[in-house]
Amino acid sequence: MYPTKLNSIINLFEILPEDERRETLVSYADNAKKQEPREGENFELVDVRKDEECMDTVGVYLHVGENGKAQIRMTLGPEVQTLTRSMSAILCKGLEGSTPREILDLPSDFVTRIVGAELVRVRSQTIYYVLTRIKSICKVYLDRQRMAAA
Amino acid sequence: MATHPTQYAHPESLVETDWLEKHLNDEGIRIVESNEDILLYDTGHIPGAVHIDWRADLQDPVIRDYISPEKFARLCSRHGITPDTTCIFYGDKANWWACYALWAFRLFGHEKVKILNGGRDKWKAENRPMTREVPKYPETNYPVPKKRFDKEIRAFFDEALAQSKSSKPLIDVRSPGEYKGEITHMPEYPQEGVLRGGHIPSAKSMPWKTATNDDATFKPAGELAKIYLDQCGVKPGTDTIVYCRIGERSSHTWFVLTYLLGLDNVRNYDGSWTEWGNKVGAPIEKST
Repeated sequence: MYPTKLNSIINLFEILPEDERRETLVSYADNAKKQEPREGENFELVDVRKDEECMDTVGVYLHVGENGKAQIRMTLGPEVQTLTRSMSAILCKGLEGSTPREILDLPSDFVTRIVGAELVRVRSQTIYYVLTRIKSICKVYLDRQRMAAA
Repeated sequence: MATHPTQYAHPESLVETDWLEKHLNDEGIRIVESNEDILLYDTGHIPGAVHIDWRADLQDPVIRDYISPEKFARLCSRHGITPDTTCIFYGDKANWWACYALWAFRLFGHEKVKILNGGRDKWKAENRPMTREVPKYPETNYPVPKKRFDKEIRAFFDEALAQSKSSKPLIDVRSPGEYKGEITHMPEYPQEGVLRGGHIPSAKSMPWKTATNDDATFKPAGELAKIYLDQCGVKPGTDTIVYCRIGERSSHTWFVLTYLLGLDNVRNYDGSWTEWGNKVGAPIEKST
């Protein structure tokens, strides 16, 4: 089961014809900047780095509210490919309001349902990388919570 | 010391960004964008440019090979291309995929081909016009090519092996780390898809990027001659094979050797390291 917002996005993509799917992905990529941290926002964890296997720096910012719900923000370097930008924007929107535990438990099989088999290639595997990075920041958060509670 | 050329062997095989902006609407040309970033064309492209996807449009979906001559004819017809159309290729990554698409067009015998010097990055850096409007050209009736020029410009495993054994020029254009066997993909890409790292025995390392300036344009003829004739031992009239990982970076070097230095008998081994590094029984070398 996927978080409600992500599920709506998946359902939308699944009914789109290929050309509209591409247009929608580009539209998400265009709006990826809107998912960057905003002035005055505070984060429990920030993870900005350029990994060996990624073309540019990717920053992940996690805020968890008092209700336990997560807010993910992301920054992407200029060399990050369009599909990865799309996926970052989709995940930031789709995971809004999920708990870090729900994010950590999220299966990755929805990626092809959004992107479509035509666009998933060996060289576009970095779309999974974004999800991995979001999950890893959630894992660190949960580990720290557990240690603090121990 | 051999005298090196002061100009490209086929200067007409390149167009500059300035020229192209003034000739966007010329009859008889078709601008073709081909990228690694599969959605990049959709985010904006040179006005009038069509998109050719290196995998979906040029490769057979089942067999590791290129499309059939019939499919090539349909692809060209769909984009309003005839055998007389001059196709000007450009793309991201300093024209890797543009050169690959150009090479694939040559495989089918399409002769009028050019590269936009500096590719997409230079065009964009110079703030030249971009659009999201996808052009529609009247469909043509491109004749089905009678043959594919595999023998002339493409090398297969057995030919690369023979080249290796005879120590004829064999150029590995991948990054130094890939050549040495430290990594199996380009730096900054997921390291997957091939079992062993290293290079084909006797291959010389000359990364594709050596042929370009910082703005992705090609280096002058004299410098290219020093790199490939002096340092790699390539000679006019001698068989030369270039390879990389899947054939796109080596298409870039193939273009340099064939069009800019005017060398005959240069073939692109597009099976490249993803075939060689996975192939049972294929000898490899590693180096430090």
